[in-house]
Amino acid sequence: MSLSCIIVEDLQVAANYLIKCCEKSKLVEVKGHFINVPDALSFVNENTVDLIFLDVEMPGPNGFELLDQIAFLPKIILTTSKKEYAYDAFEYKVTDFLKKPFSYERFLEALQKVQSSPATQAAPGNETEGSDHIYIKSEGKLIRLANDAILFMESMGDYVKFVTADKKYITHNTIKNLEDKVNKQYFLKVHRSYIVNLRKIDDMRENCLFINGLEIPVSKAFKSVVISRLNIL
Amino acid sequence: MNQPFANKTHVFSEHINAAYIIELYSGDYSMIEETFADVVSEYTSLLANVDAAYLAGDVPALKRAVHKIKPLFGFVGLTSIQSQCLDFENSCEAHPSLPLLTNEFMLLKNNLLQMKAVIEEEKEKLVLFNSR
Repeated sequence: MSLSCIIVEDLQVAANYLIKCCEKSKLVEVKGHFINVPDALSFVNENTVDLIFLDVEMPGPNGFELLDQIAFLPKIILTTSKKEYAYDAFEYKVTDFLKKPFSYERFLEALQKVQSSPATQAAPGNETEGSDHIYIKSEGKLIRLANDAILFMESMGDYVKFVTADKKYITHNTIKNLEDKVNKQYFLKVHRSYIVNLRKIDDMRENCLFINGLEIPVSKAFKSVVISRLNIL
Repeated sequence: MNQPFANKTHVFSEHINAAYIIELYSGDYSMIEETFADVVSEYTSLLANVDAAYLAGDVPALKRAVHKIKPLFGFVGLTSIQSQCLDFENSCEAHPSLPLLTNEFMLLKNNLLQMKAVIEEEKEKLVLFNSR
């Protein structure tokens, strides 16, 4: 197995067919099947996958709305029975578009496209380790934030607030998900609700630290790690 | 020489587009059987949704229900009824009034019931065929 995927499809027959295709190919491991966008979003904001097989028309939000809200971008193969969505698929830069029902041979072709396209895409939010910037999805667009510009990230339930010196950005994500994806040379989780930019800490007192005059709590569990990362003389 | 599958071919019902099915599944009869079984198990509830929408006189819901059941036919090679479903969806769009749709619906409903029996029978035939 070289790829992990989820299937977002409300028609059980179509989902089962896709699962069988994945199993038969031995190239893709199915991590989950979701029948609606909110459940799929919850999963991908907590777990990383290489690929999403995404239906468009489902009860509630449609597949494109998932793409609008997802915090990182794995490869997407759109699976729909309407070729009318091809233009939108192009606009969203999906890797391939499978019109249901598709043959097993066509399924394999789509997988080949996934494997041959740039390394499971340096996806916004997923490429951040080692990178000097991240992309976040906020205000309906992808916004590039230099690591140096970010003061800290704060959990707001299913959302995260990215705080810079002059602006705040809200994105659908979780601290738990970001913890593994941010560049650890810059960022450190100091509390279950906070990741801070180590280079922006002004001072630290007891169980809190200050960045740009803002107080951020430090959990007892993380305190020793925080201290070990500060350049204390 | 023992070649149990060398000449193994299944004769599909005349309603089913056999060439289409063989191409779709690359001749993998286990996969065909499993998918037919999946279609059988999902068919009843999707058909019930069609009935419920019609009885409620809710044309948009009826269109959605027909749209939802339509892809099943693609998986079992019943391409003509798939087209009939699409035509009915277009009629719902053009005539959002139930009385104008009644005749067309009755024809569709009759075919949906007939195809249910075709799919169930084919599934049983495939089980038998694959067990040989």
